[in-house]
Amino acid sequence: MGTFENLLYGFSVALSVTNVLYCLLGVVLGTIIGALPGLGPSAGLAILLPLTFGSNPTTSIIMLAGIYYGAMYGGAITSILINTPGDSAAVMTTLDGYPMAQQGRAGPAMGMNVFASFIAGTIGILIFMYLAPPLAKVALSFGPPEYFALMVLGLTTLAGLTGESPLKGFISAVVGLIFAIVGVDLVTGLPRFSFGVMELYSGIDFIPVAMGVFGIAEILVTAEREVRIQMAKADLRFRKLLPSLADWMACRWPIIQGTITGFFIGMLPGAGATIASFISYGIAKSTSKEPQRFGRGAIEGIAAPEAANNSAAVGAFVPLLTLGVPGSASTAVLMGALMMFGLRPGPLLFERNPEFVWGLIASMYIGNAILVLVMLLFVPVFVRAVQVPRPILSSVVMVFILAGAYSLNNNMFDVWLTLLFGILGYFMKKLKYPGAPLILALVLGQLLENSLRQSLILSLGDPRIFFTRPISGTIMAIAIGATLYPVIKSVLKVLRSRTA
Amino acid sequence: MKRYRIWAVLLVVILMGAVVAGCGGSQPSAGEETAKEEGKEPAEGEPKSQYPERPIEFVVPFGAGGGSDILARSIAKVIQDHNLIDQPLMVVNKPGGSGSVGYSYLAEKKGDPYYIGTVSSSFYTAPLLGKSPVSYRDFTPVAGLAMDTYGLFVRSDSRFDSLQEILDEVKANPKSISVGGTSGTSDDAVLTFLLEEKAGVDFTYVPFESGGEVMTALLGGHVDISWANPGEALSQIEAGKARVLAVASKERLPSLPDVPTLIEEGVDVSLAQFRGVVMPKDVPEDAVKYMEEALRKMSETEDWKTGYIEKNMITARFLNSEEFGKAIVELSNMYEQVFAELSK
Repeated sequence: MGTFENLLYGFSVALSVTNVLYCLLGVVLGTIIGALPGLGPSAGLAILLPLTFGSNPTTSIIMLAGIYYGAMYGGAITSILINTPGDSAAVMTTLDGYPMAQQGRAGPAMGMNVFASFIAGTIGILIFMYLAPPLAKVALSFGPPEYFALMVLGLTTLAGLTGESPLKGFISAVVGLIFAIVGVDLVTGLPRFSFGVMELYSGIDFIPVAMGVFGIAEILVTAEREVRIQMAKADLRFRKLLPSLADWMACRWPIIQGTITGFFIGMLPGAGATIASFISYGIAKSTSKEPQRFGRGAIEGIAAPEAANNSAAVGAFVPLLTLGVPGSASTAVLMGALMMFGLRPGPLLFERNPEFVWGLIASMYIGNAILVLVMLLFVPVFVRAVQVPRPILSSVVMVFILAGAYSLNNNMFDVWLTLLFGILGYFMKKLKYPGAPLILALVLGQLLENSLRQSLILSLGDPRIFFTRPISGTIMAIAIGATLYPVIKSVLKVLRSRTA
Repeated sequence: MKRYRIWAVLLVVILMGAVVAGCGGSQPSAGEETAKEEGKEPAEGEPKSQYPERPIEFVVPFGAGGGSDILARSIAKVIQDHNLIDQPLMVVNKPGGSGSVGYSYLAEKKGDPYYIGTVSSSFYTAPLLGKSPVSYRDFTPVAGLAMDTYGLFVRSDSRFDSLQEILDEVKANPKSISVGGTSGTSDDAVLTFLLEEKAGVDFTYVPFESGGEVMTALLGGHVDISWANPGEALSQIEAGKARVLAVASKERLPSLPDVPTLIEEGVDVSLAQFRGVVMPKDVPEDAVKYMEEALRKMSETEDWKTGYIEKNMITARFLNSEEFGKAIVELSNMYEQVFAELSK
């Protein structure tokens, strides 16, 4: 059977009334989970997972997968409207989404989020369908040195996030790297910088940090200065809520770039949607003709990371379904679900359970289509949400942030951590230190350290391992090139002006 | 006006924090009260059949979808399907600090038989490594249910066909063979260390974050050999992507009859993770007996044997409260010795 026949078979499974209903339920729940600050897809899946026990595995996984990729759509809603990322993969969307909302263009920002997510999700599913097995081989070729090189490349995107003062941006990143050190050392098993606090043994999770530095800090800052989002009545007409032709022209390449970057990074176990959105934003900014517009409401700054996090969500299914290895926290929960249903994710899943695999793939097409309809229907409603008086909106958001923080581990510790980072974030905002570098460094730092140490253990201490392996060597060369490019450019400029 | 707004919001934040903290804080005290009311009264001569009078909280010290979670949910399901306990078992995940957050939460419920929890290898190792303030002494053993052992895996196209070939090569070239495992203090690390000690060899041990990452590193050829639970790696064996050269159990596994044990291969090493159920300390004797009996009946059902034991390729072994208590002390002493050696 060819891929196309398989897909038709998949649709025959996915289009049953029950499955379509569960798909609808999943994507709507996912959108809500994504939009609620603090409650990300992995926590949401873990909470809803027990509900599916005892039901049909295909139906359950269609719903669970819907929650997962639905969350990627929902996460951007609060990023754009109230500068509070709904989940970690939507942190980058705040950078340009919120300025757009302040300029009265929340509608086009949300619309572009929906379309970029849809396009990337759909292309991602096509790539998955036709290329999953060969891509799985690519994912396997990534060992510790390759991950290290990728993390170094990720850190070079920092330069694009520093805002007005590069120095403050780098200070923020270094603080993030320091927080990444906290926790039990992977190699020796000894706790570091945990001060005897048990909850810190597993390290500082970036969700409380993101919620605090973005969400709570934003609430505190808006509380002291009255920020009303300017939005004229006429703007609420449906047509005005959608991206214009000019917006589309600006976003063509960022969407395609985000889709490919996102899928590739998403399928690497351990990297995931958050890192994909960071790197994609970095690429979009550095390849843009007008990089100075980024951070001030450039619609490409929404299109690229939103495309990336959606196709990364699909990409994460490559290692899960073809290798039986979860690529992220969310897919780890999905894998647990599969195993509880008695399905064994792995190389034989496609042969043994075709109705399951192809039903899931077909349901992703259906889910993405449902998401576009649901989201477009609700864009006007969401946009009106910013007209809710700020004190009410802020209190409601605060409740969700704190409840979400508790739900991470069913533990009060994360609530205190979120509040603590909220206070840190408040002062960072007041002193104009950007928050994104801190979070990027925290996310990358843990992987950076582990892959560095694993590589050096493997090479018995020889650092040449990063340059002699073809893939890691290439990525390192790109990273070094990207770092030195501005220097070379300015040197060339000076030389040219001298000769002239 | 505007100046006050920040204070208003700060006040809301603080109040909210206080409310949430209040709710969180009141739980343990409520637990203590109920412990006094319901935990101790039956012991003072009330009819023994009273326990359990309300739902029992089943604490999993790890996240949803992991090995301990699957164990707890399988137990809860079989017990419910067969009506072995009159009250529902509510599975609650309390992850963090490699199990210590959940174990401390459970240990705090001293005397309250309405809390039970799962036990896996970090139950023994975390307190020894200074990672947990509570140890097995803070719990009442209820029952041991299953042994989950480890296998030594290579890629299917690996040049090695037996453990002996690996040992010969690494003896000739110390550190030339890399071994993948989860973290520097897991059972994988302990097994590697024991193998090095008993066979007099020196491997390069590479720690990873999770079993999934170890398997990817093995399949990608980044490490030469790796440890994994047989159930975890089953799909790779069936698909012909990986081979298992030896298992660390004392006897051959029924599911892998052709695979020799490490002992048969001439290295006197065996290790298995003992999965079981514990209660907090000082709970009434009859509650322990009740739960032990329910778990014994559960372990004899066909649903348990096929739905959990066979599916996860583990070895069923029921130990009652007393036997399980002994096994816990033995395992803990064994880990203590190994870690003392490791830190030298």
